Amino acid sequence: MELTAVLIIPPFASALSLSPFGRHLAAPITFVSAISLFLLALSVAATVAQTGHIEALHGTLACDGLGALVLMLVALVATTAALFSWGYIRIRSLEEGPRKEQRYYGLYNLFVASLVAVPILANVALMWVAVELTTLFSAFLVAFENTPAALEAAWKYVMLTTLGAVLALLGFLMLYWGTRIAGSETFTWVSLVDAAPHVPPALLWPAFLLILVGFGTKVGLVPMHTWLPDAHSQAPASICALLSGVETMTVLYVILRLFPVVGGAPALDARPWFVGFGLLSVAVASLLLVYARDFKRMFAFSTVEHMGIILVAAGLGGTEAHLAAAYQMTGHAIAKSFCFFAAGVIATRFRTQQIESVRGLLLAAPASALALAAGAFAIAGAPPFAIFVSEFLIFKAGIASGQYLVTGLLAFFVAIAFCAVMFHVNRMTFSQPPSDEPIPAAPLSCALAIAFAAIPLVLFGIYIPGPLRNLLRAAAAAMGG
Amino acid sequence: MALGIFHNLLQLVFIISVAPLVEGVTSRLKENLQSKRGPSIFQPYRDLWKLLRKDEIVSDRSSWIFRATPYVCFAAPIFVALLIPVLTAYPLFFAFMGDMLGGGFILALGGFFATLAAVDTANPYGPMGASRTRMVGFLAEPVFIVVFLTVSFVAGSTIPYIVQQRWVTPLSNFFEPSHVLLLIAFLMLILAEDGRIPVDSPSGLFELAMIDRSKSLEYSGRGAALMRWAGAMKFLVLICIFVNVLVTPWGLAKGTSSLDVLLAAPLVLLKILGFVLVLVYIESSLAKLRLFRITEFLGAALVISIVAMITNLSAI
Amino acid sequence: MMSAQFPILSALDALTGALFLLTAIGILATRQVLASLQLFIAQSLLLTLSAVLLGIALKSPHLFAVAAITICTKTVMIPWILRRTVSAEVYRTREIQRVLNIPSSLLIAAILIIIAHALMSPLVAAVKVPFAQINLPLGLAAMFLGTFTVVARREAVPQLLGLLALENGVFFAGVAIVPSLPVIAELAAAVDVPVVVLVIGLLTRQIRQVVGMTAVGLLASLREE
Repeated sequence: MELTAVLIIPPFASALSLSPFGRHLAAPITFVSAISLFLLALSVAATVAQTGHIEALHGTLACDGLGALVLMLVALVATTAALFSWGYIRIRSLEEGPRKEQRYYGLYNLFVASLVAVPILANVALMWVAVELTTLFSAFLVAFENTPAALEAAWKYVMLTTLGAVLALLGFLMLYWGTRIAGSETFTWVSLVDAAPHVPPALLWPAFLLILVGFGTKVGLVPMHTWLPDAHSQAPASICALLSGVETMTVLYVILRLFPVVGGAPALDARPWFVGFGLLSVAVASLLLVYARDFKRMFAFSTVEHMGIILVAAGLGGTEAHLAAAYQMTGHAIAKSFCFFAAGVIATRFRTQQIESVRGLLLAAPASALALAAGAFAIAGAPPFAIFVSEFLIFKAGIASGQYLVTGLLAFFVAIAFCAVMFHVNRMTFSQPPSDEPIPAAPLSCALAIAFAAIPLVLFGIYIPGPLRNLLRAAAAAMGG
Repeated sequence: MALGIFHNLLQLVFIISVAPLVEGVTSRLKENLQSKRGPSIFQPYRDLWKLLRKDEIVSDRSSWIFRATPYVCFAAPIFVALLIPVLTAYPLFFAFMGDMLGGGFILALGGFFATLAAVDTANPYGPMGASRTRMVGFLAEPVFIVVFLTVSFVAGSTIPYIVQQRWVTPLSNFFEPSHVLLLIAFLMLILAEDGRIPVDSPSGLFELAMIDRSKSLEYSGRGAALMRWAGAMKFLVLICIFVNVLVTPWGLAKGTSSLDVLLAAPLVLLKILGFVLVLVYIESSLAKLRLFRITEFLGAALVISIVAMITNLSAI
Repeated sequence: MMSAQFPILSALDALTGALFLLTAIGILATRQVLASLQLFIAQSLLLTLSAVLLGIALKSPHLFAVAAITICTKTVMIPWILRRTVSAEVYRTREIQRVLNIPSSLLIAAILIIIAHALMSPLVAAVKVPFAQINLPLGLAAMFLGTFTVVARREAVPQLLGLLALENGVFFAGVAIVPSLPVIAELAAAVDVPVVVLVIGLLTRQIRQVVGMTAVGLLASLREE
């Protein structure tokens, strides 16, 4: 029941925003729909934490631990981003008027609808369509600013991610072929895992590679990541939060689902590929972070790095590592959206995205400085935030399972990334302000959104409530297979 | 055995005598397609007769190559005509003297002498045309080789007669993808080798744009007649290879009596006419390519032939 | 070479496949934008033909449905959408400067085709399905060529056509291996393609309005310098 509502509410809100009724009320409509989405997602997560499984519409919609976790994170970030957009987009569309705002909210709700559809659709082919729709609905959101740079970013984004998705389509068709050979009639994740031992390895392996490379493009794994810094820095900050925080993670969810499928075939081993791509992404991202010139691009590189870390954690194998991966996903979604909110506020107040041009934050704009510093500390992996705990757990699991080289390399590159982020944020925060003129204040809704988003940011590093812990365990079990 | 030699010589006479006719038919059909009346189809015979009776003027600065080339160029297609199926479906007496690669080498020999002769004169357009012909030939060689490789690999032999048997014995083999692709590639090759549009304009008179025709600019009288005839024969030989070996052996004589062989002649002429129609249509609908775009044209032919080879190999 | 069960249909399917691959090479190599679009339409028609041939051979009504959907969306709807969203002037342009000149692109295309055949041969040997021997390698080769087209071309519309050629390749391989995908999934995947084209077409129009040209390969301002 809740799942059906989750699927229906966002498109309804989108239609409402685009109608004449939403001319001045599009923002509140979106916010209300996002909050109701979040509450429904919480209820789904609670059910799954207890029973492990939830279904609706005769099995068309189904959710297990990993799906419920992703759904909850998507809903959370959608809510905070909706609140943030309220003031932010109003400022950005002052010249063009309410039509532009309406278009934004219409697309925003459709984007959220496609994002929530991915973890809850049981049929794998329909899930692929949902992933495609996330690209299509966010294309014009990335191009919102209508500058040549934004259009270039949107073009690269749409081209490369659709390319990857179509490559993955062949992989999924081959998987379907495999399940038919193994004798199953339906095409859901559950039936895939069941059929995996009977599928010929010569079929399963190319399918796995195609999906890894194809959807890896959308996740931002190196070397298919070239579109990500552009798209995630040119979009408006609320959309960046959604893209970086949850969209890449949602597609990574699909790749992680493949892990038990390939694990079911005894002759194949997916782990070296996960670890390889993950380490490559972390390495390249951390090196690129040193050279970042634009702070939104810096956070985008950090997304690539964290996707790599999650993939390595999944590839390390074992319940501990998978639990740490689930925890990392949670921490990253919360921290990354927070970072982009802070970055968006600073970009609006200082009218620039270059790191050199923003100086003396602590003296000129103390609240924004605090937000930026907190976000940067959180995303770089400093205590007492959640990412520190999850990275530590990953290292522990790596050493416990004896993969010293992988853990050592991972720690090395994570340290480089930490230093790079700290260096840039340091320059921005603790320095002399360029001049004494007052900086315009941030919109109220942005400040509120940052305040709300700060609560889970600070909380989950110190204390994880019981139900959330159960949910993370269920997610780890779904990954482990 | 004597009958075999006689039929082989009959084939030779056929090629020598029909070549100007084919050229005449081609130019007339091209004019007809442009709603003009066009010259008579026997005009090339009259031109050759006129040229043979004229005086020949040869520069005293040129070497023996210039004097020998018309005869070499005239002889080359004749030798190749001994090797390929023109009128009969079964191998004749000289058929095993050389295979397809050998035939290709002989034709290349003729072209080589023509190029050298063009450089031998001091005419500025000669060497220009010669170097351009070399460029086109250089790009066309890989296509030739890949086509012959594929064809021989499939048929298990490089003798044209045997290849022809295997290619279309069950009719479904006609529609094999490698077959169709090879036809397209070889057609592009004929257009390139013989100087047809889109590679070169056969009726153009502007020397700066000529590729093939500028090689025979300096000749007069008997030399010019032989060069023209040689060009027409080379064209006819290539058409015969295309039509009789690659497309279909339909119309070729199966029986061994002279009557069968003679009856095959009009049928073969009919096939050649069909090809000429296709050629004329292509020539009338395309424009001549810029010189450096010819590499793209021949590159496409190469890729098509490679795809033909791959689809053949992968299916085995 | 011919499948023992369906000799004539198999031969026709192989011919269709070879021409399909030729159109994919053509989309990569043509300079004119309009010619790329016409080659794409030809490619979709060949895909439909293959689906029909396989439908006759395997007696599967789903494949006829796939053929019908392909004809409607790819040969009719998509050119219509493209004509409406992207102005006619774009179609008159030619790519004068290319990332890689045409003969080199053609050679790389040949190498990609060889790689695709090599990659698919163990799979085809392992699982014996009629027509998979033809459709899978050619479909994968068309996919590689489509990817290379997206990377190698500068104009917006040929890049999009490369993407659509990639999708055609996927379906060409797909009709051989999944003759009966659930109807919902087929419809969804079919609806997805025009939406992609619509989005990209509108984006192209916006790019042309703001930037003034559609050579998107030349937009390279976002870099680390």
